[in-house]
Amino acid sequence: MSAPRPSTIFLAAITALVAVLLYSPLFVPIVSSFFTISHGNVDWSSPTLSTYVALAGNHEILAALRTTLIVGLCTVVLSVVSGTLLALYYHGRRFGRSYLQFIIFLPFLMPPIISGLALLIFFREIGLERSLLTVVIGHTVFVLAIVYRTVLMRLQSMSRTLVEASYDLGATGWQTFWRIILPNLSSAMVGGAILAFALSFDETMITILVTGTQSTLPVRLWAMMRLGFSPDINALVALILMFTVLLCVLAARFLIPRQMATERT
Amino acid sequence: MNQNIDLLTLRSVSKSYGTVPVLHDIDLSIRDGEFLTVLGPSGSGKTTVLRLIGGLEPLTAGEIRLDGQDISRMPINKRPFNTVFQDYALFPHMTVSGNVGYGLSVRHIKRKEIASRVSQALELVQLGRFAERFPAQLSGGQRQRVALARALICQPRLILLDEPLAALDLELRRQMQEFLKSIQREIKTTFLFVTHDQEEAIGMADRICVMQAGHIRQLGTPHELYYKPNCEFVARFFGENNLVAGKLGPVQGEQRPIETALGRLVCSICDQPHLKTAPDGVSAFAAFRPEALHLADAKDGANRFSGTITDLAFAGSSTVATIMAGANDAAQRLRLRMPSRIDGSALKSGEMVSLCFAPHEGHLVLA
Amino acid sequence: MSRAGSTHSAEGRLSQLVTVLAFALPVIFVLVPLAIFLVYSFFGVDQGTIVYAPTLSNYVRFFTDPIFLPVFWNTIVLCVSVAVICILLAYPAAYFLTTLKGRWRYALLMLLLVPLLMSYVIKIYAIRSILGLNGFLNKALVALGILDQPSTLFVFNMNAILLTLSLLLIPFAILPIFLSLERIPQTLLRASDDLGASSLQTFLRITLPLSLPGVASAASFVFVLAIGDFLTPQMVGGISGFTFGRILYSQFGTAYNWPFGAALSVALAIVVICAILVGERFGRSRGTSV
Ligand SMILES: Nc1ncnc2c1ncn2[C@@H]1O[C@H](COP(=O)(O)OP(=O)(O)O)[C@@H](O)[C@H]1O
Ligand SMILES: [Mg+2]
Repeated sequence: MSAPRPSTIFLAAITALVAVLLYSPLFVPIVSSFFTISHGNVDWSSPTLSTYVALAGNHEILAALRTTLIVGLCTVVLSVVSGTLLALYYHGRRFGRSYLQFIIFLPFLMPPIISGLALLIFFREIGLERSLLTVVIGHTVFVLAIVYRTVLMRLQSMSRTLVEASYDLGATGWQTFWRIILPNLSSAMVGGAILAFALSFDETMITILVTGTQSTLPVRLWAMMRLGFSPDINALVALILMFTVLLCVLAARFLIPRQMATERT
Repeated sequence: MNQNIDLLTLRSVSKSYGTVPVLHDIDLSIRDGEFLTVLGPSGSGKTTVLRLIGGLEPLTAGEIRLDGQDISRMPINKRPFNTVFQDYALFPHMTVSGNVGYGLSVRHIKRKEIASRVSQALELVQLGRFAERFPAQLSGGQRQRVALARALICQPRLILLDEPLAALDLELRRQMQEFLKSIQREIKTTFLFVTHDQEEAIGMADRICVMQAGHIRQLGTPHELYYKPNCEFVARFFGENNLVAGKLGPVQGEQRPIETALGRLVCSICDQPHLKTAPDGVSAFAAFRPEALHLADAKDGANRFSGTITDLAFAGSSTVATIMAGANDAAQRLRLRMPSRIDGSALKSGEMVSLCFAPHEGHLVLA
Repeated sequence: MSRAGSTHSAEGRLSQLVTVLAFALPVIFVLVPLAIFLVYSFFGVDQGTIVYAPTLSNYVRFFTDPIFLPVFWNTIVLCVSVAVICILLAYPAAYFLTTLKGRWRYALLMLLLVPLLMSYVIKIYAIRSILGLNGFLNKALVALGILDQPSTLFVFNMNAILLTLSLLLIPFAILPIFLSLERIPQTLLRASDDLGASSLQTFLRITLPLSLPGVASAASFVFVLAIGDFLTPQMVGGISGFTFGRILYSQFGTAYNWPFGAALSVALAIVVICAILVGERFGRSRGTSV
């Protein structure tokens, strides 16, 4: 091997810089979850888990976390069911597909402030009080496009003859749906669900606009941020980061290898 | 099974996609227990015929009868036919035995029975060891056999196969041809086999249906198609052939002359009444196979002409000569095939030779 | 198409239900709210209550008031700058990724995308503490001798918004650029090398033009995300960092003028749609599928 060329070194250096820039905001709370920081100086000498203990006692934050999880699960169920139905319906040429598909994608393309405000006014006009229900609707509308697209892409990569073969072998429409279509979509649906959950978990802007008195974790943090955080928040952030990485790996598992397998068949 | 009874009949079947006609007024009878091959160039409508029979597409006009009953409107999953798809269409999330047993399990047949019939079917296609594999873990030929077993297991009246061997390499294709044929003999089910490969068709079929541009051009045994093509398309498409254009002369018993650039050629019209009734002077072709053409000797009288050998190609058991025959302004390119000899060919390139073919080995097709 | 077998009435009713849902869901929850929103922008406000009578006054105010247009314009300039910074950093990184082999390539890509999934609010908070007077940035600059003493140049102003948004949005630029670079057939580059081009020439004449669609989508992505953000400016912008998103948000909070906020949103939406269309137009790869 020859020595790396200067251009390669330059590129690697920029990449390293980008990585440092991207991770520095994550680094700060994680370090401070284990060490005390005063006036910008880390006290490396005394690692502690006290922040984690404090977190376990912070009922406000834990309640917000629970709310977030509930909202996330409801969003996942609603968006996966309706996204899959929509994908199944619009797969194959159907009347009005491109227009309705555009509509489905709008909330994802538009800045969240516009989607959020539009929903805010909509809820007011139909007389729906702001609550967790409106938050769930907002999140579902927002993540629907992702689930729809994930499932639709799987449907499109699925050979049309699979369904034909099933009918050909004597199966009814129901049997074909449950035994052929759904199993082939399941990994895309799980992948879409994970993405939907991740997006819902972190959704802040729409939530701020449509939430009622009960708020989700990001909104809670947002409200606390003006005053500055207590150290136990750092522990929470460290935990969330680990959880996120886990989700990310899981999503990759469900979305990538199966697709390769279907390509080979 | 009785090969003389019609299992399935297509009557005046037409199919259009939107306004584009794809099949024109097709009539076809499939006999019980036969191996019928649909042969035609790509785009001729073979797949469409199969999809209409299988019920995957609705007819535009005409009807399909099974045992004399109209089944044109019978849904796919009620038709007693099964298809081996061109891309196999194996369910990727099921094992081999799951795939093969699918047709039985959707009919709510007992697990035990399914298991025993699946293993029987897998034995038949020699895949017993692979029952628990997934389709992605099989080779092309193995997937092919899974698809076949899956279609066989429901004991359909008719198995539809759409170019099932197209994706396989030559050697494997040969093996699978024999294999398919032997299975068909064993289970005595009617096979409707689509291909664009005429060698494959000749090798496997009891009868061949030649299609072109949405029409059926000819239906007959490989022998009939080879020796008695009824139109220029079949004569040219099916095997190597020499065609010389000309005008028909008056009928002479079971033979009829045709005036061509190579002179008067006399050909057999045995068992082909339409050639007997065609008026004199009609445009037609004299058709004779390369292996029917040979060097003339003193006793040969009829169908004699001379030509120059322009090329000699050794092809193993036989040698093929390319010959320019007839006057310069109307020279015909002909082919002659003769058995190869260990001491080299008797022919030489550039040599002028006298050629002929026997009248009973030549035939006529109307232009 | 394939006709399902038995037409169970249950199956038929279900498919009718799905048809209705397929049209109703997107219309009710997306189109209707946006339409109402649009209609709202033509209403007025009188002493804190909305007057449901059509008027153009909101739009007139937007164009004539000396505050809104300059902020609007400054925000657009800010977001274009964010897009430029993101691309300048993301392009070399994405290019570096494509020079790596197999597993490393995707592992590193993953590494650069993971921060995307990390809590947005926390990241803003952390960046603010990095940029602050006691923050890491000032400490580093002082230590390097670039600054004599910690500066307030990086927080609670437009610079802070610019830096924070760039930092948050880099991953959104990396992905499309990486994908477009990856789509360039290696044979094309090897052919160019074969023809005697230096690697710089190959880059400038083959790689760069073929990756421009990815750059266009990246730019449009980053721009749209930046211009719609109202949390970041509020958090790190202080008093001087006033963006359009903040003004818009305040119409629904402190100012309590929903119709005017709706009109501002329409202006924002128009800019966003233009950006998306430009990204679409130039983001279509031409002739890369050799
Ligand atoms: N779904 C379809 N829509 C429109 N045209 C089609 C469709 N399927 C086949 N065709 C057309 O019908 C003709 C016959 O096709 P096909 O039956 O697939 O031919 P083959 O199998 O002999 O190659 C072709 O010209 C093809 O383009
Ligand atoms: Mg075909």
